[in-house]
Amino acid sequence: MSRFVRAAALALVAFAGMASFAATPASAPAVSALAGDAARLVRERLKLWPALKGEFEQTKTLKGFRNALVSKGEFLVARGQGVWWHTREPFESTLVVTKTRLFTRNPDGSTSNLADAQAEPGVKQVNELIFSLLAADLDALADTFTIAAQPVSTAGWSLVLTPRDANLAKFLVRATLAGERDVQSVRIEEARGDTTLIRFSHQQPAAALAADEAARFQ
Amino acid sequence: MSPSDASRPVRRLPWQVAAWAWLAFCLVVAVHQFSFWRSTHFDTDVMALLPQDEQAPEVGRATRQMADQITRQVVVTIGAPDWASAQKAAVAWEESVAAAHAPLKASAMAGDDRLRDTLAFYAPYRDRLLTPAQRAQLEHAAPGTLVQGALAALAQPGGGLRLADWNADPLALWPQWWLARAGDTRARPRDGRLALDDGGLEWIVLLRETTGPAFSLSGDATVSETLARAQAAATRSVPDAKVLSGGVPLFAEHAASRAKLEVNTIGWGSVAGVLALVFLAFRSLWPRLLMTVSLLAGVAMALSVTSWVFGHVHLLTTVFGASLVGCAEDYGLYYFASRQGAPQAPPLKLMATLLPGLALALLTSVLGYVALGLPPFPGLRQMALFSVVGILGAFVTTVVWFPWVDRGAVRATRFSTWIVDGYARLPRFRADRKALAVHVLLLVACAVGVRQLKVNDDLRQLQSSPAALIEAQREIGRLLGLASPSQFFVVRGTSDDDVLGREEALKARLDARVADGELAGYRAVSDWVPSLARQAADAALTKRVEDGVIAGVDHVLGETQERAAFDSAPLTLARWLASPVSASARALWIGDVPRHDDGTAFASVVMLRGVRDLAALPDIAKSADGLPGVRWVDQVQSVSALLGRYRHTMGVLLAGGHVAVLLALAWRYGRRAWRAWMPTALATLGTLALLGLCGQPLQLFNVLALALLLGIGIDYGIFLLEREDAGAGSAWLSVVLGAASTWLSFGLLALSSTPALHSFGLTLLFGILIVAVTTPLYRPRTPSLPETP
Repeated sequence: MSRFVRAAALALVAFAGMASFAATPASAPAVSALAGDAARLVRERLKLWPALKGEFEQTKTLKGFRNALVSKGEFLVARGQGVWWHTREPFESTLVVTKTRLFTRNPDGSTSNLADAQAEPGVKQVNELIFSLLAADLDALADTFTIAAQPVSTAGWSLVLTPRDANLAKFLVRATLAGERDVQSVRIEEARGDTTLIRFSHQQPAAALAADEAARFQ
Repeated sequence: MSPSDASRPVRRLPWQVAAWAWLAFCLVVAVHQFSFWRSTHFDTDVMALLPQDEQAPEVGRATRQMADQITRQVVVTIGAPDWASAQKAAVAWEESVAAAHAPLKASAMAGDDRLRDTLAFYAPYRDRLLTPAQRAQLEHAAPGTLVQGALAALAQPGGGLRLADWNADPLALWPQWWLARAGDTRARPRDGRLALDDGGLEWIVLLRETTGPAFSLSGDATVSETLARAQAAATRSVPDAKVLSGGVPLFAEHAASRAKLEVNTIGWGSVAGVLALVFLAFRSLWPRLLMTVSLLAGVAMALSVTSWVFGHVHLLTTVFGASLVGCAEDYGLYYFASRQGAPQAPPLKLMATLLPGLALALLTSVLGYVALGLPPFPGLRQMALFSVVGILGAFVTTVVWFPWVDRGAVRATRFSTWIVDGYARLPRFRADRKALAVHVLLLVACAVGVRQLKVNDDLRQLQSSPAALIEAQREIGRLLGLASPSQFFVVRGTSDDDVLGREEALKARLDARVADGELAGYRAVSDWVPSLARQAADAALTKRVEDGVIAGVDHVLGETQERAAFDSAPLTLARWLASPVSASARALWIGDVPRHDDGTAFASVVMLRGVRDLAALPDIAKSADGLPGVRWVDQVQSVSALLGRYRHTMGVLLAGGHVAVLLALAWRYGRRAWRAWMPTALATLGTLALLGLCGQPLQLFNVLALALLLGIGIDYGIFLLEREDAGAGSAWLSVVLGAASTWLSFGLLALSSTPALHSFGLTLLFGILIVAVTTPLYRPRTPSLPETP
């Protein structure tokens, strides 16, 4: 799931860098046929739940750092509401993405906005991208990414997302997702040379959110 | 003139030489005209009319720089309930525009390399560029908190939106600075388009530029029609779509096409009327044709000489110059009416007889126009030159060509005989109590009317664009959060850096307005290139804080990172201006301007974005109070003030023109001169009174029309005085025809929906009528004519 946040962050950066009317020339519109049979296969194998929670382990390899940065924690994804990403180790921190905001929750329960659609119009469309990722809406994703899907053994699959937008491609080389019924790993490769690998475990689907869980998105 | 003058034979040779020489000159002008109309476009910058020494040059330059950016730009926004249908509507719109082959091209969008180049340009100065909020945060945050934040960001996915290596921006300040810069517009790239969402609709912004001349005066609504069809195509494709079209070309096209429509209806109407009159009077169209030739020659010469002297021709000059028609025609009419009155006289000899009167009529008109050119208003000087040359051209054409070309007899018609014979029966004032009483009454009536007269120079009076277009433009401005081009601050300083420093002082005050919600923001060069002092302070601040953060993170994670090196030299304005990255904000920099006494010789513009309430503008303007070199500019207000100043100056000159004309008349007619002057003076006063009684506001265009009235009206008086002993009836015929044709040409302008033309026309409608009616009243008693009973 962190791929969503990561993509959001990167896309946001890409949009933020453009002043005034700077923009890329119109690229080809959505190619809904591209995913083809492989995409259908992924859709069949991947199960989508109204809510999903679990554990994650993230390994970041950053340029300039001798050691990989490893963090662990728990996550909650609620379709239509957002992503809650709680890092427990090595430092306590919480990051939340909703339709209109990207914020961190401080230890005292208060929030600090990292981005807000009110202040930065680009946030909304980035968050829409996240929500189409959550919904595994490959047609919508195909507007932004070239998607290569392929089956892995009998129950598995992998998806490679490559940005169509040249400006986004300057930050993000590709994102690779792999899994079976659930997404099991995400690998993000940045143009800067940094890579992030996230593995998910103990994933539990749920039909609805508990009250305290819903409050996390406020 | 004495009878001996008239009986002396005319020497033909000088006239022949003059006629051929004039033809040669006309050919030269014709050649020049050919290139003029192919290459020229008219100057429409109102500020160019301001006296140079009075107008702050930086304001004029600022206005021009901003206008240059938008004169060709067409902005269309297409809104739909969802992104997919917005895209569908935009595609339908684009296909329709592409199929129309209109003079429109897609505005250049930044290429793929733009973002990378822009980031690379600013990256060496990253440590010197902070937003006000960041500066406050770094100054006040505890070092431990910042280290904690940096560690948390490293653990989080996304890593804090980085645009640089971690050791070059450990606190992720850089992306936030860019976000603040991106605030210049609300539109953002999305799927290769510019997009924004507002009011529950997803909007796509389409930018086009016109490829033809910036201000086409052809009157064809090519762009507007193309956009209207494209809009229909978009709404056919997506019925819920909302399409807004705006941009200067649409306004210009609308104004031009309306002007064309009016010129056509009014123009053809008056041409038909004038043709009928001339035909009734002369039973031939030949005189009319010749007069048109003289008129064309005059206008062509006026355009050529004006563009030769000034390098360009202002649109207002041509509007005023169009009024030449009324003046220039009178010479031809006077000649033909006299021909009719003396059919046996050879044309050349007749012309020689008429020449002194014609010359005086020319002289008085020229005097009036020269008076116009006396004050240091470039616009007035241009109008004066244009008019003098134009009227001179028409005059010479009439005098040197008409006697040669006009060989046939000009027969009397029933209509002309009726007017010629009727002249003697017209009433006239005698020096008695009755006349005195009438004059006193008239003066009182005029005084009452003039007292009612209200002055109004508001620029918006001249605005005649349709409400729908204005509303669409306003809505687009709001959607995009565009900066207002007509209200801004001008900042002056002794050096580049001084200007930037003063901008920063102003921005600190504006930040408070932004916090209050009065403003969405502002645009300034110092947003992109802070002053040297600010850059040095911010570089020191980021170095101190970031060194601490990196040391803290190294300690916790066992790393040995060091802060990346930045350029030791500051970002200079010169470097910024020379780079393509400054393109979007370069128009804000005015540069070197004439030095003031306080030593300031450089200037820039600070624009406002998203002013919540226009009524708050005077309050926002106060932000400049007490700041050295900062000045508030309100273009709407200053152009209105300019129109007012012109009106006032022209009014004074008009009075001066009357005096000069009266002196010129006295030189030829001695004590009878007042008879030729009185009708025009009375008409001027009477017109002002009538305008007052009608509730029409007095503004520049009324005064311009009164100046024209002086030129035309005096001619009538001269023609009647000139021929009082022989052919007075013929002179009267020329006055009647001249007045009627002028009345038709310009009086019909009163029907125009363009406010300026309307007031111009209405003034002449009243004025010409009064002159024509009163001129015979002041004719002298002559022994050769029977006394009016």
